[in-house]
Amino acid sequence: MNPFPKADELTRRQFVSNAARAYLGVHLFPMLGGTLASAAPAAAAKGGTAKSVIYLYMSGGMSHLDTFDPKPKNKAVMGKTEAIPTKVDGVMLGNHLPKTAEVIDKVCVINSMNSTQGAHEQGAYTMHTSYALRGTIAHPSLGAWVVKQGGRIHPELPGFVAIDSSPEHVGGGFFGAKYSAALIGSPDEGLQDSKRADAVSPEDFDRRLSLADRMNSQFHNRYPNADVKAYEELYREAIALMKSKDLSAFDLSQESAATRGLYGSGRFAQGCLLARRLVENGVRFVEVQLGGWDTHVDNFTAVAGRCKEFDQAYAALITDLAKSGKLKDTLVVVATEFGRTPEIKAEHKDGRDHHPQAFSCLLAGGGIKGGVKHGLTDSSGGKVKDGLVSVQDFNATIAHALSLPYDTIVMSPTKRPFKIADKGVPVAALFG
Amino acid sequence: MNHKITLTLLAALVPVAGSFAQTPKPREDLQFLKKAALQIDQHIATFYRRKNLDVPKVTDDATFLRRAFLVSVGRIPTAEEALAFLEIEDPAKRESLVDYLLKSKGYSSHMSNWAFDLLRLTDGRTGSSASNEPYRHWVRSAMSDNMPWNEFTRRLVASSGDGWDPQTAAVGYYTRDRGMPLDNLSNTMRVFLGTRMECAQCHDDPYGTTERYDFYQLAAFTHGQTTVGQTNMESLWQELRDGDRSQSEEYRVAQVLWDRVYGMSLGGGGVGQIPLPADYQYRDATPGEVVGARTPFGQTVRMSEKRVESDGRKKLATWIVAKTADQFPAVIANRMWKRVMGKGVYEPVDEFIPADKTTYPDLVSYLGTLMVELDYDLRAFQHVLLLTRTFQFGASPNPSSIEGGDDFHGRKIERLSAEQIWDSLVTLAAGDPDKQPARSLETRIFVGGKPVLVGKKDMTQLSKEVLALKSEKELRSYFSKFLKEVQSASADSESPGSMMAMTANRSYNKDAKVRASELPSPAPRDHFLYLFGASDREVVDAFSREPNVGQVLSLMNGFVQRELVNKPAAHLYKSLEGATTDKEKIRRLYIAVLNRPPSGEEMSWMLDEVKKQGDAGYRNIVSALVMSSEFLFLQ
Repeated sequence: MNPFPKADELTRRQFVSNAARAYLGVHLFPMLGGTLASAAPAAAAKGGTAKSVIYLYMSGGMSHLDTFDPKPKNKAVMGKTEAIPTKVDGVMLGNHLPKTAEVIDKVCVINSMNSTQGAHEQGAYTMHTSYALRGTIAHPSLGAWVVKQGGRIHPELPGFVAIDSSPEHVGGGFFGAKYSAALIGSPDEGLQDSKRADAVSPEDFDRRLSLADRMNSQFHNRYPNADVKAYEELYREAIALMKSKDLSAFDLSQESAATRGLYGSGRFAQGCLLARRLVENGVRFVEVQLGGWDTHVDNFTAVAGRCKEFDQAYAALITDLAKSGKLKDTLVVVATEFGRTPEIKAEHKDGRDHHPQAFSCLLAGGGIKGGVKHGLTDSSGGKVKDGLVSVQDFNATIAHALSLPYDTIVMSPTKRPFKIADKGVPVAALFG
Repeated sequence: MNHKITLTLLAALVPVAGSFAQTPKPREDLQFLKKAALQIDQHIATFYRRKNLDVPKVTDDATFLRRAFLVSVGRIPTAEEALAFLEIEDPAKRESLVDYLLKSKGYSSHMSNWAFDLLRLTDGRTGSSASNEPYRHWVRSAMSDNMPWNEFTRRLVASSGDGWDPQTAAVGYYTRDRGMPLDNLSNTMRVFLGTRMECAQCHDDPYGTTERYDFYQLAAFTHGQTTVGQTNMESLWQELRDGDRSQSEEYRVAQVLWDRVYGMSLGGGGVGQIPLPADYQYRDATPGEVVGARTPFGQTVRMSEKRVESDGRKKLATWIVAKTADQFPAVIANRMWKRVMGKGVYEPVDEFIPADKTTYPDLVSYLGTLMVELDYDLRAFQHVLLLTRTFQFGASPNPSSIEGGDDFHGRKIERLSAEQIWDSLVTLAAGDPDKQPARSLETRIFVGGKPVLVGKKDMTQLSKEVLALKSEKELRSYFSKFLKEVQSASADSESPGSMMAMTANRSYNKDAKVRASELPSPAPRDHFLYLFGASDREVVDAFSREPNVGQVLSLMNGFVQRELVNKPAAHLYKSLEGATTDKEKIRRLYIAVLNRPPSGEEMSWMLDEVKKQGDAGYRNIVSALVMSSEFLFLQ
């Protein structure tokens, strides 16, 4: 027997209820809504104020020493990187982040991240799903969890959008395809192909769909399979999306030249701007990826290049959200799979290798205290000395900022229990 | 009558006469392949009996046709190919089709996608002007030449030398991962032996038996991945880089040597020893302690921690292919099984399980033996699988009833890979894509984005000359001569030589309507292939078959509409030529897109559509067929 259809039915009802609740601010199905709420622990009620998440993923393993955890007194581990002061006393950053230094009063820097996974695939997987990579099950990505538990905000726009991301990190896992991210390959082009081709009349367009629909239900009757069904549902979703008056959320050309300039011209910069537009329009979770952090070779040149892409865009995003008052509703996350070694490898043109024992991530907005450093590494940045935050704790903190229950158990179709952040517990000290 | 018999006899005798000298090798002997297929079916039948399962039905011709094409050549048949198969009445036609497909160029294109995903083969490298192109070309050619898997593996793992020499371009296997030799080694173990060691790179594996110490012992084999003599250029490079000459042509020419010649070469051969890392945390040894090479299982191969050797990579390669008992053949056999049958006999395919611990010990051990008997000929092995009855069973919508493996109870229905969908759409838009020439290796020398010395010297020649230089002095004198050559040649860049070479080179940009295997790798983020889940080739097999809303939008409004549905010149519409009735036209469109005739009910829907919308109706039909799940899923 295929366990999917039944599971789909439930989640669909729950999804409708959650979406309606979020968008209209009402409980359409008090009974279902109640089930969800009663499962939430008391602590969740006191969570953050975030409604949406912008999750900036530094793919490849961002060097913490050269960015958010510099050790100015330990020249041996710093190499060519110098530390610069920021707007907040006691918080220093790497010298390639001058603009970020200006907004650090709104940011919480977590220097005590710790992961058990030292390879990219495993590391990135755990960061995104809270679980270890297994060959036997696909765990949902954080964005999928947030949409699943919090529902959509806008009923027509996708709940989860991923810009420039690797598709395998932003999937719906065992929640199914409807929770996987809508992929944006190029921020400038927005959501590709979301307009009817000029050559096709509205009538012909509808006729095509109705023919395809007949073909599909025939096929689905023959093969009642979850993925087959997912495509049928995606057609309905895609059409609602095409007709949505808010489709312009994906259109960067509607931003002024001044705003676009504030963010910078790179793909990542424009991705951040698009993320802000999407969140403003009711997208629940937007991931933007910045790759190239795997600096085994020539770390210092590579990090300078990455920071150039990151610095202006990140500072602009924080500033922009703060100015419009949206920072309160929006949690901005900077995450990566691991840090880099304090050791500098001369034989790899001064490269740094993977270092999951200690690294840095950022949280800002959504009720998180700004201008704060959390946790401490030793004098070389090699080990966490104080306030260790596991990957799971980090993800639980994200859930908490959204006031989502981090310890609600959801059963997979194979009847195994899972939670949004596995055994993680929110870091309460980060909330103001 | 007599005459005919004589001819038949003669025909039969000729190969027999030849076989006195040498009996045909199993991999070249169709009778052997057929017998092997029968053996596999018997194993499956035994399993059914044991589990009291009924034998699934064999599919109809149309389903078989589409499945065989997509599985072996990665695309749907053209309308012509489909008709030829469906209309012939010959009991042996399925066998003939398999034979036709495996001999076609499409086979190696489809295999190349598989190899590129497995080896994470991208065209370029981040942060360097070095490329993986000669390596890519080497792998692509190995797939075209059907290089035996053990030889392929050996040549990758034992590689050494010049990155541009077609004989040694396999060094890209290591230079692709320059700076991260430990990750490279983890992948070697995973890809070729189905052993996962990623955890042990940093700590003892809590779930397995591998300790961090074991991992370093293994890493000792491949330690010391130097370049071929780059030190000769070190001081010249520093001068150019640190001085104010870094914007000069001199610098750019030097960069060609530094990145694209030295940077793509692999020196040494694996030293056989390695120091433990600074954060080594266990009591059995101390950080910095030098350990000698030692294999973790199979027949033990060791190297001393006291000597610096130069054949570690060769020793490791030999161990992998010849000294790990049945593990090496079993892993590739299961990978091939998954390719053909949809699911591995056990999953995941990159975690080896000894035959006696699987649900099907006899089958698993037979497949390993067969791989060896066929001399690791992957085409012959897949040929056997394609000849089985098991391959021909009808599709099933249900997941396997056996955890961690296939229940063989009908093929599990699955969405096509991004490459299969792309290649099929290209077939509909532009006809048989295998008539297009494959992408060729770019060997011109580029300085600052412009080709130089075209027709006079290419990268292969340059690399050979530079790597032969013995000292800094020789290098400096070669460099100044080469620089002058480039500078004087760029003065008259419109030389006829450059025009000639322009036509000789074949590369395709991302918009080309050619096989995915010939397009830039990885697919750019705004490409159809990305949207449908093609791997970005940073990690092993990082493809995804998950549906998303963008895919549906693309089918409704994107590439499919522009290049196929709304384009009268699209190849697919050629199949309508000569058809006079609406019914016949609809039938032909069905054959072209879904490779089957329409059912009676479908015909009435579609006739209705044409009656109401006229010519636009045909476009609507094509659109609906391509948007259908039947098009996207392999039955």
